[in-house]
Amino acid sequence: MMKNIEKYRNAFMDALELEEDQVSEELALGETREWDSLGHMILISTMEDVFDVSIDAEWMTEFDSYKAGKELLNRLGVDFVNE
Amino acid sequence: MTFISIEFLLFFAGIVFTYYLVPHKWRWILLLAASYSFYATLSGYFVLLLLISTVFTYFTGIVIEKQETKQQKKRAMLVGICVLLFFLGWFKYFNFVNDSIRAISTYMNWNYAIPYQEIILPLAISFYTFQAVSYLVDISRGKQKAERHYGYFSIYFAFFPQLVAGPIERAKKLLPQFKVEQTLNYDNISYGMKRIAWGFFKKTLIADRLAPIVASVYDSPDPTGSQIVLATVLFSIQLYADFSALSDIAIGCARMLGIRLTENFKQPHFATSIGDFWNRWHITLSTWLRDYIFMPLCKGKKKRSEIYVAIIITFLISGIWHGAAWTFVLWGLIHGFYRAFGDHTKHFRGKVATFIRLDQSPSLHKWMKITITFLLVCFSRVFFRSDSVTVAFENAQHFLSPSSWSPSGIIVAFEMFSLLDLVIFSFFFIVMQLYHYIERKNTSTWNWLSQRPAVARFAVYVLIVVSVLVFGATGQGFVYGGF
Repeated sequence: MMKNIEKYRNAFMDALELEEDQVSEELALGETREWDSLGHMILISTMEDVFDVSIDAEWMTEFDSYKAGKELLNRLGVDFVNE
Repeated sequence: MTFISIEFLLFFAGIVFTYYLVPHKWRWILLLAASYSFYATLSGYFVLLLLISTVFTYFTGIVIEKQETKQQKKRAMLVGICVLLFFLGWFKYFNFVNDSIRAISTYMNWNYAIPYQEIILPLAISFYTFQAVSYLVDISRGKQKAERHYGYFSIYFAFFPQLVAGPIERAKKLLPQFKVEQTLNYDNISYGMKRIAWGFFKKTLIADRLAPIVASVYDSPDPTGSQIVLATVLFSIQLYADFSALSDIAIGCARMLGIRLTENFKQPHFATSIGDFWNRWHITLSTWLRDYIFMPLCKGKKKRSEIYVAIIITFLISGIWHGAAWTFVLWGLIHGFYRAFGDHTKHFRGKVATFIRLDQSPSLHKWMKITITFLLVCFSRVFFRSDSVTVAFENAQHFLSPSSWSPSGIIVAFEMFSLLDLVIFSFFFIVMQLYHYIERKNTSTWNWLSQRPAVARFAVYVLIVVSVLVFGATGQGFVYGGF
């Protein structure tokens, strides 16, 4: 079964149409041309689907980098460490 | 009683004086009485509608909160919103829908009997309905507690500085401020007075001076193309000065009472893209549409094309909100198209900029983007300003015709100004741009000014007040006051 961190990376690749080597810890909203404000909406929808969570408007702005997204999903019950 | 009147200034001075005299626990009564009195002078018997909407939203909020499951909360919220939108729909859109159906029926040779109805639009209904909707949605989402104190809730609904034309505030920002005891604070009074004076400046020296000149072209049966171009650019300046003045006065009045309202404008005509423009123009409406229309529409959308549809629907709603006419619908659609097309061509435009080495001159590139964005916004405003769709398309054709932009034609079009009007407008327009320039270089022109010597400071204050008294034009209502 695929680990959550792999699902997370795949979600970035699917939503933002990125290559595997483009998904890194440094990835942030607005710093790549693919992750713009509209790409962000697609990314959020994809994350909601993949992890079966609901990310509301306030949290959407919090999800502004690869790392911040992981922390947010962690708070919503997605475990990236002890799975 | 409008904002731009001696009556309002005297009324407001009396409110401020009394506000700081009475104990905090009674202030809500004063604010409520002031708000309803102010609204009654503007919209007469529609105070009753305001009262009904307030009572309805107050109890619906409590009912939503008492529901146990999310589903039940959502259902109660939707019922509440439907009722609020029914009021808005009846007063604002009945004739629009009725006329449209009649036009279609005539075209299709159907029999349609419902005649035009004499329905007066209650002032501010679009603004307070949107505040009410956000309140109910936030309760349903668990982000806002239903307010139990009817007095405070009523002020949130009818707070007179922002009742007529916003800023559209959220309950979680405004309600707590009413409950905190505001003490008489020199900075608040001083800042509030400056913002009010600046609002008067923009309204009476820019907006109301331009209004008759713009109207002389748009009301003319056969304007020239160059006149349309010049009048549309002037209308953009008029609209900004008019609406931002209203926000300045609202923010200034509220600040004098210790209440901080949300900024509604950030120099929108210096936006570098349409997306950027909507982050700077009528910010509280943009964020409202983003949070309560666009984001819910984007739920589950995983393709850009689906997001584009959400964008166009959001702008369509924005257009309909502005006015019950097809010209506003088209205006909204144009902005939706701009936003979607702008996103779709973003990478291509970036490549073109690189190819022609424009990206090596960032300043030139930025000013080109500002100019193009401003012209796109101006084009959309042809539809915003025109009285009918037919006239709007004629005017749009004028605006797009290259001959309309010939320098000689534009110079001739300036004849719509008398020489005195042109000199007065130009002078005050430069003063406004100077204010914007300082604002761009510093965070606040007023803070910058407060660091200047007392003589310079007071010279500016005197210039503003004397200019308004001597050269200020009055008598025009606020454009956004009609929405």
